[in-house]
Amino acid sequence: MTTDNSAPVSGSIMVAGGGISGLTTALEAAEVGYEVFLIEKEASLGGRVSQLKHYFPKLCPPTCGLEINYRRIKDNPKIRVYTMSEIESVEGSAGNYTVKVKTLPRYVNENCTCCGDCADVCETEIANSFNFDMDKRKAAYMPSNMAFPQRYVIDPSISADDKERIKTACKYDAVDFDMEEKTFDPKVGSIVWATGWKPSDATNIDNRGFGKHQNIITNMMLERLASVNGPTGGKIIRPSDSKEIETIAFAQCAGSRDEDHLPYCSYICCMASLKHATYIREQYPEAKIYIYYIDLRTPGLKYERFYKNLKEDENVFFVKGKVAEVAEVAGGNIELGAEDTLIGEKIKQTVDLLVLATGMQPSAAIENVCSDLQTNPDGFMINDFEKGGQFAAGCANKPADVVTSNQNATGMALKAIQTLRRG
Amino acid sequence: MAEKYLAQPDLNFIKEVRELGGESLNKCFQCATCTIACPISPEDSPFPRKEMIAASWGLKDKLITSGDIWLCHECGDCSDLCPRDAKPGDVLSAIRSVAITEYARPKFLAKAVNNPKALPFLIGIPAIWFAILAIITMTAGDTMTKIFHGVFGDILGGRFHWAHAHEPGVIAHADFFSTWFVDLTFVPTAIFATLVFALGLKDFIRNIHENAMLEGKTNKKKIEIAGFLKALGKVIIPVLKHDKFNECEADKDRSTPHMMVLFSFIGLFIVTSIFFIALYVLNSHAPYSQINPVKWLANISAVALIIGVSLMIRNRLAKKDTQLTFYKDWYILGLIFILAVSGLLAELVRLAGFKTGAYFCYYIHLIAILNLFLFLPFSKMAHFVYRLVSMAYAEYSGRKY
Repeated sequence: MTTDNSAPVSGSIMVAGGGISGLTTALEAAEVGYEVFLIEKEASLGGRVSQLKHYFPKLCPPTCGLEINYRRIKDNPKIRVYTMSEIESVEGSAGNYTVKVKTLPRYVNENCTCCGDCADVCETEIANSFNFDMDKRKAAYMPSNMAFPQRYVIDPSISADDKERIKTACKYDAVDFDMEEKTFDPKVGSIVWATGWKPSDATNIDNRGFGKHQNIITNMMLERLASVNGPTGGKIIRPSDSKEIETIAFAQCAGSRDEDHLPYCSYICCMASLKHATYIREQYPEAKIYIYYIDLRTPGLKYERFYKNLKEDENVFFVKGKVAEVAEVAGGNIELGAEDTLIGEKIKQTVDLLVLATGMQPSAAIENVCSDLQTNPDGFMINDFEKGGQFAAGCANKPADVVTSNQNATGMALKAIQTLRRG
Repeated sequence: MAEKYLAQPDLNFIKEVRELGGESLNKCFQCATCTIACPISPEDSPFPRKEMIAASWGLKDKLITSGDIWLCHECGDCSDLCPRDAKPGDVLSAIRSVAITEYARPKFLAKAVNNPKALPFLIGIPAIWFAILAIITMTAGDTMTKIFHGVFGDILGGRFHWAHAHEPGVIAHADFFSTWFVDLTFVPTAIFATLVFALGLKDFIRNIHENAMLEGKTNKKKIEIAGFLKALGKVIIPVLKHDKFNECEADKDRSTPHMMVLFSFIGLFIVTSIFFIALYVLNSHAPYSQINPVKWLANISAVALIIGVSLMIRNRLAKKDTQLTFYKDWYILGLIFILAVSGLLAELVRLAGFKTGAYFCYYIHLIAILNLFLFLPFSKMAHFVYRLVSMAYAEYSGRKY
């Protein structure tokens, strides 16, 4: 595409979503000189990636990738980060948008040093959504130990007594219960929607027993169990009785590629389960790991190699057949049923823990996103480069792994810049 | 499978299956949810996942020789849970239709039954046939009496009269359509249908046995008649009780109407046999008294048949997701409905004293019955023979399901 290079750098870019895609778009645009508003709904940047124990295929912790990005943000005055914020409306056209952004009160200001005194005195407890409600946290909490901004947040449900205690406890005058919801209306030239995804709701899947049996969990819950900053301090144990894992099964395509749930392939779940097998292997060298699949999708040389390595593990078993029924049996164990389609026999197997490889559902399918982009029937936003102005990056656009999301997000940064320079 | 198997894809078979209700066939991605969802699928070589891929590949020889396709009762549990909406239940039903067509000879009749364009002929030819015979009955009674007398004379004590006398003054269908003509039409038709079934079954039993041996579904080497008949005897009661049918979840409500229809037909078969004997052995002629217990059975069966088939039609109309309905299904349901309603009306209108109406209903009834009898081995109705035999074979061969 040829653009008029003589046009001056003007206008700014808004990035909706501070996950790995949004961070990438924001940084790529800011580092070539554009002003960026980075809007994040949660109290911290990092998105889904911050909930993982490891990235695949290198198996390094997400801290490494996120830390570098946070460092780059801190060093770059062109990026303004707004956490606990959502875009309420967008008006105008490409090159000239007025966006209404709403910011919820955090009740903690920049003075916070993360000393943790507020949490120590706080008695109110709330479900910990970062850990998929597997544990509770104080109503005054750090979103996670690698949160950005590194600052506490206080939940509005906190009791009046706790408020008093916290005010007294905080030595830095960092608590401000007079904070109110704020809105502001920046003008931007282009918007990149990096609104990401949610794990699809496994309770909807009739024949998978999630929500009915405690020892059936989702793949993202396993990430939290395996993470050092998770509810068990990184020890993978089963929810009902904290038993160590001797046998574990993964049910692939739990919701994905299912006309009644997510009709598409979520792309990441195969690699995720293979990666999870490495978590189990690391903690339980003798545990038997069963992966029930329809088709295993490990695209590219690196992923294929990852799969090959696991196939050589004598305690990892791949069974071609979808887990089609589950039941809880004695001791809280899970009995699953499938057909091993390679030999044409029905299988019943009892395991300690069953992990559902649930797929990704675009946030736009669940929440109202006020973009002007069309969505496909599944809720993924369709880019319209002819029209320009607004773009979807990462998993808002299609199911993708981190690498693909970043490539895509970099591309969308360029598209956002092109809008400004043409306009 | 120990032996080498060279796949012979039959593209025309795929087309046939798709046309007969298996349209969704190639959506299947072989996850085998269906196999687990199926309440009656065996542990070894379970269905219907393997049938789905065999059908996608056009392996007609493997499928029409399989007894397994008949063990399926099309309850729809598999279609209900299928993540791809590939409707294995409907695909198996379509495969069964192809199998029926394959075993029933002559082929053109089998094709005609499944072809909506042939329907005017299926109705028209019997209509003309019965019209001619009715005209003869009503206008040429004297001639026929003479012919009968000339042919049979006084054998069997002069029992072979043209006219089957009845009490004077009542409306009798025999005045419209001679009992002789009824039996001259239906006795050969029944013999024909039985022969077609017999020939089809000869191949069918051989085929399903070979298939079972090839796929390791049995360790029996050959079929011993005595053992097979014993197995048949063993499955009869569960079949009548719809034991397998009742294991369904998704379409549980189909079992009772089906049972009503089955028992009605059995009832009507008994009634017909008794009256046949009454007519030719006891020389007792219709219409029979309403207090005759056989007549009770007839009336109860007729009412049950109408209710049963109406419920089936209602279920089919209401169900769009787990079970699709195609021409082959509507043909049979429509036929049974018309047959039952016209039969009962023929009686009621006769009792009401409306002669023309009674005759008309009877005329429709005759056409419907001929359709049912003549096409029994060719239509979906043939399932009762093939399924029964397959279930008996499964019992005989020790296939646990």
